[in-house]
Amino acid sequence: MIRFATKSGGHTPGQQQRTGPGQEALAGLALVALPVALLLTLTLWPTVTMVVSTFLVDGQVNASRYVYFFSDAYSLANLRYTMEQGLVSALSALAISFGIALYLRFSAGRIATMIHALSLFPLFVPSIIISYALVRFLGPNGLFQLLLEQVGFTHYRTPYLTPVGPFLAFVWEALPLPVLVLSAGLTQVSDHAVEAARDLGAGPFRILWEVLLPQVRRSLLIAFALIFLGIIGAYTVPYMLGPAAPEMMGVFMQRTLGNLHDADAAQVQAVVLMVISSVVGGFYIATMLKSQGGER
Amino acid sequence: MLQIDTISKAFAGTPAVREVSFTVERGELVCLLGPSGCGKSTLLRVISGLTDADSGSIRIEGADMTRAAANRRPTAMVFQSHALWSHMTVAQNVGFGLRVRGLPKAEIAEKVGAVLDLVGLSAYGKRLPAELSGGQAQRVALARCLVVEPKVLLMDEPFSALDAHLRKSLREELKSLQRRLDLTTIFVTHDQEEAMELADRIVVMQAGRLEQFAAPGSLYRNPQTLGVAQFIGAMNTCTTTVSLGQANWYGQPLRLALPDGEAALLCRPEDLYTDPRGARARVTRVIDLGPVTKVSLMTADGDLLTWTCPREAAPDVDAEITLMPRRLHAFRDGALLAQIERPEPALLEGVPA
Amino acid sequence: MKRTPVGGLLILGTMALAMIGPILTVILWAFAVKWRYPHILPTEWGMKFWFGMLGRETIITPVLTSLALTSIATSAAALICWPAAYAFARLKFPGRQLMLFSFIAAQAVPKFALFVSIAVIFLRLGLVGSFWGVALVQMLSAVLYMIWIPTAAFRGIPPALEEAAFDLGASRLRVFLQITLPQALPALAASYVLAFVSILFEVDGALLIGAPTVTTMPLLLMSLSAQVIVQEAAVLCVLIWVPCFILLLLTRRFMTAKGIAQGFGA
Repeated sequence: MIRFATKSGGHTPGQQQRTGPGQEALAGLALVALPVALLLTLTLWPTVTMVVSTFLVDGQVNASRYVYFFSDAYSLANLRYTMEQGLVSALSALAISFGIALYLRFSAGRIATMIHALSLFPLFVPSIIISYALVRFLGPNGLFQLLLEQVGFTHYRTPYLTPVGPFLAFVWEALPLPVLVLSAGLTQVSDHAVEAARDLGAGPFRILWEVLLPQVRRSLLIAFALIFLGIIGAYTVPYMLGPAAPEMMGVFMQRTLGNLHDADAAQVQAVVLMVISSVVGGFYIATMLKSQGGER
Repeated sequence: MLQIDTISKAFAGTPAVREVSFTVERGELVCLLGPSGCGKSTLLRVISGLTDADSGSIRIEGADMTRAAANRRPTAMVFQSHALWSHMTVAQNVGFGLRVRGLPKAEIAEKVGAVLDLVGLSAYGKRLPAELSGGQAQRVALARCLVVEPKVLLMDEPFSALDAHLRKSLREELKSLQRRLDLTTIFVTHDQEEAMELADRIVVMQAGRLEQFAAPGSLYRNPQTLGVAQFIGAMNTCTTTVSLGQANWYGQPLRLALPDGEAALLCRPEDLYTDPRGARARVTRVIDLGPVTKVSLMTADGDLLTWTCPREAAPDVDAEITLMPRRLHAFRDGALLAQIERPEPALLEGVPA
Repeated sequence: MKRTPVGGLLILGTMALAMIGPILTVILWAFAVKWRYPHILPTEWGMKFWFGMLGRETIITPVLTSLALTSIATSAAALICWPAAYAFARLKFPGRQLMLFSFIAAQAVPKFALFVSIAVIFLRLGLVGSFWGVALVQMLSAVLYMIWIPTAAFRGIPPALEEAAFDLGASRLRVFLQITLPQALPALAASYVLAFVSILFEVDGALLIGAPTVTTMPLLLMSLSAQVIVQEAAVLCVLIWVPCFILLLLTRRFMTAKGIAQGFGA
């Protein structure tokens, strides 16, 4: 069927061919106009306005607000904490999901199916629900502590309100995407390829590094970018589970805007976060364009 | 019945169909045959109206259909992928064309029942397409077209996704059905055997052009272009130069009443016979195919030849034999120069090699 | 490379505890009347808190607000995105790839920072604290699901299915209504459910644009979770999440590696 379709000029079905190409282009543009307009007015316009306004101080163009941000120890601590939290959580999530994907690749049966299903569970759990659930599960006198005490471990210290709390929540939430993408990528390595490598004397580490990893490198990079961007822009998880100070940027911005009513400072924080994100985001988009270019 | 007149179609400047003309009679089954990419499917889509022609015209029973959209043409198409709608039952699929035409429910049910009976699937009306085998699905797709009683039935490689055995039996079924209903049918295929078995006449297409339009046997015996000659059946092709009515055929000069210049001399494997005056070749392989024996040979110049002969006439491997053509098809620039019966060897020495 | 089942069981056990444990705790709390340290399970069961909550206006109003907001935002997004998805999949027009791609690229913008910028503009426009302001930003959360899943679905319908119907005499409208739409319907429904659930539990936009006048269910959940009485937040979680979980399970077949990877371009 594919051959058939290309012969008749791409995936445009016959009924469109009777209307002229000009008409088709107009109809297409009309149909996509509204969502594109929504996207532009709610992303591009506010972003540009915000960047411009952060440089306007009493009608003068200057960068004094940024100078303040980058000389304020508390702001810098928050920024640094946000990046560390994002990096550590995203890398840990990738490492764990790679382990799970490897296990799934080389085993079959009911246990593997159940592990697969469990690793996808977070897809069905909104951020706010898991944040609250983790408070109840890991918090002081939570179910986890109770279980540990049942087996005689009484030195439990709750991660609630420490950086470990958001870390666990971020890893929990991030698991499904890399597990799905990596296990799909790893199934593309045939058993024969692995056996051939082992035949040639490659150890498990070498097989991992030279046979399996190259197959999923791009998926790993994209997954890392998405997870990292999600974490550094998060609000709910650090608000519910994180320490009071330092704060992650989401909480910091919300407090600055909502409680301190300092819109200017909140905007500067937002711009700083956006600039950092755009580096990672630009890399994410470039990687994706490359993989799409390969397909088309 | 169906007149195709100088139809051309290009996609983004690349011609797919070039000035094709032919006429199909009522009740005739015509195959469009050619290698993939030759434009046969595009031509079929142009006939159906799913693709517009750039130029030329299409008439069905005298009425000009060139500008009519697919839904206004009295044609119905069976797709290679069967294209059954997975959200409808078999009966709903088959009844779709009748519902479009606004027929009363009772009449639709009756006609659907009758046509399902015709294709031997009367018990399958309530099934979903996903519950059908490949052959059954293709029969439902045929029934879906038959029920609207199209003036021309179009089939786009309908059996090519099926296995060889099933393909053969469906072919028989289709042929008898088509005869019984006196259906004018255009059938696209790249399978020579399928075309030869099914068609009353075959349109051979190559690179968008109609090469020849003839009955299957005639295509085999009297190919009008080099393309057809090489595409239909096996041929021994010898490229040579004609000079003063003589040409070198595998090392043996022949007397040929042809104008001077380059020529391709083609000979069917069964049109060779042993003759002491013929071209000399060494037997490299002998294959007993049952009804005939296939002998592979190599000439002194390293050209390869195939000869099919009765088993008792087959030589031994490594034997040196001499062969003459019973019939030669001579082509120049792809077009037929002449068909030469029993050519004679040239007696003069010193012809250009 | 094959591991012993012991290793597998160990992984499974850890995963089960980590994945199910937290949610299980919440479910236990929702049906607990008394659960005091160090008992591993509630000592008194019941639905006392359920009935207590259901009559309170401070609980009912945010839930109803959320349902109204979510229905409106999701439906509006569907209304503008589904036709666009059809155009992206089936029509040729200038800038098609770029515009389609901009919907994925928007994923890379940190949402909370973006909402800060929107909040500042809305503040000037008087949209902060308004129902419609929240609905507008929440539509943004739906757009990704509403564009990508339907576009892939429309693309996945073989053109021959539509051509066969057109060829049998159906009008273009009829082909769309009776062939294209039913073929795409499961995917459209899935995109609706995914968008609906993600908006229903959306916090960032509601907090920055809606608070304090528009209180949605997730904001209520946040304030309840800070209370001394644990059960109320737990009840709300179970009450709202379980139906959503069941709905989401129905969309599972669209959450394949391929589907998700396509959505994110991986």
